[in-house]
Amino acid sequence: MMDYLYDGTFEGLLTCVHMHYYNDRADGIFTEDSYQMNLLGGFCQVETDRDKADTVYRAVEEKIGHFALRCVYKVFLSSAADKEMRILKYLVMGFKVGPKINLMHGNDVVIGVQEIVHKIGRETERMVQFVRFSELEGGVLYAQIEPDHDVTELLAGHFTDRYKNERIIIHDVSRNKALFAFRKEWYIADMHIDEIPDFTDDEREYRRLWKNYFDNIAIKQRINPNCQRNFVPMRYRKHLVEFGGEM
Amino acid sequence: MGASMEAIMGKLKVLAESAKYDVSCSTSGVQRKNNGDRDAIGSSAAAGICHTWSADGRCVSLLKVLFTNKCEYNCEYCVNRRDNDVPRASFEPEELARLTIEFYRRNYIEGLFISSAVEVSPDYTAERILKAVQILRNDYKFNGYIHAKIIPGVSPEILHDIGMAADRLSVNIEMPDSQSLSLFAPQKKPKQIFTPMRQITNTLIERGSLVGPGLMFKGVNVNTPSNMLGVGAITDSAEASIPIKRKRDGKSFAPAGQTTQMIIGAGSESDAGILTTSENLYRTFKMKRVYYSAYVPVIESPILPGISGAPPLKREHRIYQADWLLRFYGFTVDELFKSKDENLDPDMDPKVAWAIRNLDKFPIEINRASYEELMRIPGIGDISARRILRARRVGRVSVDDMKKMGVVMKRAKYFFVCGGKYYGDRKFLPETIKAAILGMENGLQTSMFDSSWKLLEAGAAQEKLAEAGVI
Repeated sequence: MMDYLYDGTFEGLLTCVHMHYYNDRADGIFTEDSYQMNLLGGFCQVETDRDKADTVYRAVEEKIGHFALRCVYKVFLSSAADKEMRILKYLVMGFKVGPKINLMHGNDVVIGVQEIVHKIGRETERMVQFVRFSELEGGVLYAQIEPDHDVTELLAGHFTDRYKNERIIIHDVSRNKALFAFRKEWYIADMHIDEIPDFTDDEREYRRLWKNYFDNIAIKQRINPNCQRNFVPMRYRKHLVEFGGEM
Repeated sequence: MGASMEAIMGKLKVLAESAKYDVSCSTSGVQRKNNGDRDAIGSSAAAGICHTWSADGRCVSLLKVLFTNKCEYNCEYCVNRRDNDVPRASFEPEELARLTIEFYRRNYIEGLFISSAVEVSPDYTAERILKAVQILRNDYKFNGYIHAKIIPGVSPEILHDIGMAADRLSVNIEMPDSQSLSLFAPQKKPKQIFTPMRQITNTLIERGSLVGPGLMFKGVNVNTPSNMLGVGAITDSAEASIPIKRKRDGKSFAPAGQTTQMIIGAGSESDAGILTTSENLYRTFKMKRVYYSAYVPVIESPILPGISGAPPLKREHRIYQADWLLRFYGFTVDELFKSKDENLDPDMDPKVAWAIRNLDKFPIEINRASYEELMRIPGIGDISARRILRARRVGRVSVDDMKKMGVVMKRAKYFFVCGGKYYGDRKFLPETIKAAILGMENGLQTSMFDSSWKLLEAGAAQEKLAEAGVI
């Protein structure tokens, strides 16, 4: 029994995959801070090694394909508790069967990855729908989000393109990180909630207009709160202007 | 700022109130990145994006407003009819453009859906709408989605200019047949409605960008002279019969195509009649979609259903399901109905109803069936059919595989064999299958309209999502 502990980075995880092949077989992979020690087996603190990570990265791309690599990265961004082992099992199988792994829709290992990829896709889509910008003093468009999974960087493509001439900040308040973008360039950096300037005066007016519009457009004879809740789950409403969200 | 904002608030209230009965809120059909102008704002996603859902569970994707609700017409069913006593308002083009941009910047919306009552004349109103969309496109460099409603009777030149600025155009057919139209909307004539529809289709053909609804014309080039329609407003029929003069100016005319909308349950039409009209619209004008709107009684009228009546939501739902079968599953209206005055079975999905009537075509062997045959099995849709075909390339498909591929087993199991084995737990007879499915479907329907949606199968939910304009 050997559990690998890594630093929570993607490179760290790939290093573990490397060690699974060239050192001891991995029975479990955990981040250092989430690990519960057990009495039966040993564990090993894996030091992230760029070269080993690079080797695995390129091997996945060449032997299984770019699509598989993207899937693996998306699973890594998820909050699934056993994501590391899902990735490992998928890669082990991928190295055996090659690119056709993605046609094996009936295989449990493949399903284990595809269902998480699907969840990440769904969460990304929801963020694209539900990000609400507020105009801050100085003209910056600022939004707060609290996604279930760490999808902030997956939002970069859509928002930097759409609002290429706006300075935008999408702030994941639960993970204290934010996407900063302007003129099609973007980066992710740490951000804390106490650093935010005030709204502009116009901002309050447009929020009022939007809330008012939203309240008015429902057809009274067709009111269906359950249907609404399925599409806009309660946990997302905290940051939606039209549901009374503050930010 | 404060005072004018109050004025806009007032207008928005009145003009959104009137527009909310319009069904379509879809923003699908155009994929466009923000690559053009340096100063541009906006993009468009082919699958469409919903930004929120209102209390009636409908997707909110566009700022949906009327340009004005001051109307010269007196259509029986319409809340804005001339004789109705309601607050009236009109936007200024600049006001509306600014409002759209400010909502868009905040990621509230995908763009604008502009419709209108007829103030002064169709051309007067259309010109003001044109002004608003041109301000959006040219002054604000807006690159997002615009859906413009075309008012019957508008001149071809203005229609053309609106089409050059908008992504999608629609002319409301309003009623499923001409009798209802002359009864309920006496000032709107069929000719006035079909003339702009024809112009839109012909212009799309000229530009080689007509696509057609769903998968109906998949793999078929519909941009041919033979598809040009009648006496066009821009190109007349003599010209249309010779090879089309292709327009290649790098600009696009209504790239997301044409749609229309009709009201269900105001007149006395049958479901077969309604869907025959839709099928004709799909085949002739090759529209992307026909939207159906269960009649919501808003005003008292001796010839309309009473104001206390509930909108026929169940019927609307079944019609949407059947419409889906026309556009994506290769069904024709003749297959779905025995006679022209028939209605859909309110208790059963139209695809299941068809399959039970045609049991001689079943059960179908999953490991040999073509795509078209798979699509005829209830519980199998485009996605699962394609997954089955893909998986068959690497090996045989088992029943377990089918489940994992998203086949809705409790509906499908009566209609297929897999590896020669039948999985329906009853005898292969119409009555027994019908009874089994009805027992199961009852639960589904009550869930649809009363309580939770969660009980719905993935397939049905997907269809509902599509109706809501999500996909």
